[in-house]
Amino acid sequence: MHHYLTLLKKDLTQEFRTKEMLTSMGIYALLVLVVFGAALAQTASGFDILQMSGGLLWVLIVFTSLLGLNRSFAHEKENGCLEGVLLIPLDRSVIFLAKATSNLLFLFAVEVVTVPLFYFFFLTTTTPAASFWMIVAPLIVGTVGIAGIGTLLSTITINTRGRDVMLAVLFIPLVYPLLYACVSATTAAIIGSEGFMDVFAPALLLAGGYDIIMVLLSWVLYDFVISA
Amino acid sequence: MNDTKKAVRLPEAGGMWDKAAPFALLAGALLATLGFILTFTTAPLVLGATVNGVELIGDQMVSNKLLLSQKIFYFHVPVAIASMLALAFTAYYGVRFLMTKEARFDTCAKTATETALVFIICTMVSGELWTRFEWGVWWTWEPRLTTYLILMLLVIAYFILRNAIDDPERRASYAAVFGIITFVDVPICFMITRMIPSSVHPVVFRTDSGMSPDMLVPFLICFFGMILIAFGLYRLRFRQARLAERVALIKEHLED
Repeated sequence: MHHYLTLLKKDLTQEFRTKEMLTSMGIYALLVLVVFGAALAQTASGFDILQMSGGLLWVLIVFTSLLGLNRSFAHEKENGCLEGVLLIPLDRSVIFLAKATSNLLFLFAVEVVTVPLFYFFFLTTTTPAASFWMIVAPLIVGTVGIAGIGTLLSTITINTRGRDVMLAVLFIPLVYPLLYACVSATTAAIIGSEGFMDVFAPALLLAGGYDIIMVLLSWVLYDFVISA
Repeated sequence: MNDTKKAVRLPEAGGMWDKAAPFALLAGALLATLGFILTFTTAPLVLGATVNGVELIGDQMVSNKLLLSQKIFYFHVPVAIASMLALAFTAYYGVRFLMTKEARFDTCAKTATETALVFIICTMVSGELWTRFEWGVWWTWEPRLTTYLILMLLVIAYFILRNAIDDPERRASYAAVFGIITFVDVPICFMITRMIPSSVHPVVFRTDSGMSPDMLVPFLICFFGMILIAFGLYRLRFRQARLAERVALIKEHLED
C-alpha cells in the first residue's frame, strides 16, 4: 500500500511537472473532434446525431487513450526509471496497480474536458434525453477496462519494434468487446427511449464483467511481462 | 537436458506421436471426405431452418425452402471448433511456459497458434460464402461474426507481436501472455449466440432440438476428421520447428 502510493505519487508529480500526457491527449482529442466536424459537415440536415454520438464519443476516447498509453511508459524507458522501479523489492503487481491507476486518472482528467466539448460541438443542436447523465456509468466502466488492459499492453509494446503501431494492433481487437458494450450503453442513455434500461443494464453488466476478467488477468500476468 | 529440469516433461519431436502424425492426417482427410460424401448422400436437406435452429431470418420465416447451402455447415462448424481447440492449446502452453520458462513450450504455443490460424481462415472463408448465399451479404456486424473476426485479428496480432521482438526469452513471455489474453475471446465467441438471442447466427450445440441422426453421423465424422487433421498438422509443424531449432543449435556448436 505504501509502495503503491509512492509510485502513484511519482507518476502524478511527473505529469504535473511536464504535463506531457495531459496536454498531448487533450489537444489530440480536440483535433479528433475537429475531424468529426469535417466528417459530419456534409450530412443532411435531418441527420440524427443522437444515434451516432455514442459511437463517435467512444471513437474519440479509444484513440485518445491509445495516444496516452503510448506515452505512459515512454518516459519511464527513456529515463531508465523502469529499471529503478524494478530494483525495489516489492510485488510486481503493485507496479501494475499504480501504473493503471495513474493512467486511469489521466484518462478521467481528459474525459472531464472532452465530453463537455463533445456535447458543446455536436449535441447542442439537438436535445439528448433526460437520461444523458447516465453515460457517466459506461464512461467509468469503459475507462477502467481501457486503463487495465492498456497498462499491460503498453508494457509489452514498449520493448517491441514500432511500438506505437504495435499497441494499436494489440489494443483495439482486445478492447473490442468492451467498446461494443460501452457504445451500446452510451447510445441507449443518450437516446433514452422507452425501456432503454433493457439495453443499458445488460450492456453495462457485460462491460463490467469484461473489466473484471481482463483487469484480473492483466494483474496476474503483469509480473511476467515486466520482468521479461 | 540437465538433471534439475527432469521434473518437467518436455514435448519433443520424433516420438510415437510424430510417427502417428502422417497417419492421423491421412485418416483425418479420409474421415472428413467420407463425412462430406455422407453429407450429400444420406443427410437430408434442411427444411428451411427448422432443424438447425433459426426460425427467423431477417424477420422472415424461412421454412419453405430446401437449403442446399446448409451443407457447408459440415465443414464450417468442425473447422471452427478445431480452431478454438488449437487456441486452447496456445493458452495452455502459454501457462506452461510462464510456469517453467522452457523455450520448448513457446515452440508448442507458436505451433498451436499457427494451426489455429489455418483453421480460422478456413472458417472465415466458408462462413463468408454461406452468409453471402443465405443472408445475401458478404459481411454483417452480427455478434458471432464480429467476435470471430476479433479472434482472427488477435491471432494475426500474436504473430505481428512475435515478429517485433528480437530477444527470444522476452518474445516467448510476451507471446505467452498475449496468447492467454487472446483465449478470453474464445468462450465469448462460443457463447455469444446464446447470450444475445436476437443473433441471426444459428446456435448449433443445444440440448433441445439438435440434429437428426442422419445429420449427426456425418457431422461427427467430419468433426473427428478435422480434429485429426488439426492434430496431424500440429505435430508435423512442431517436428519441423524442433528440427530447425536443433539444426540451429548444432550450427552454433560448430561455430564455437
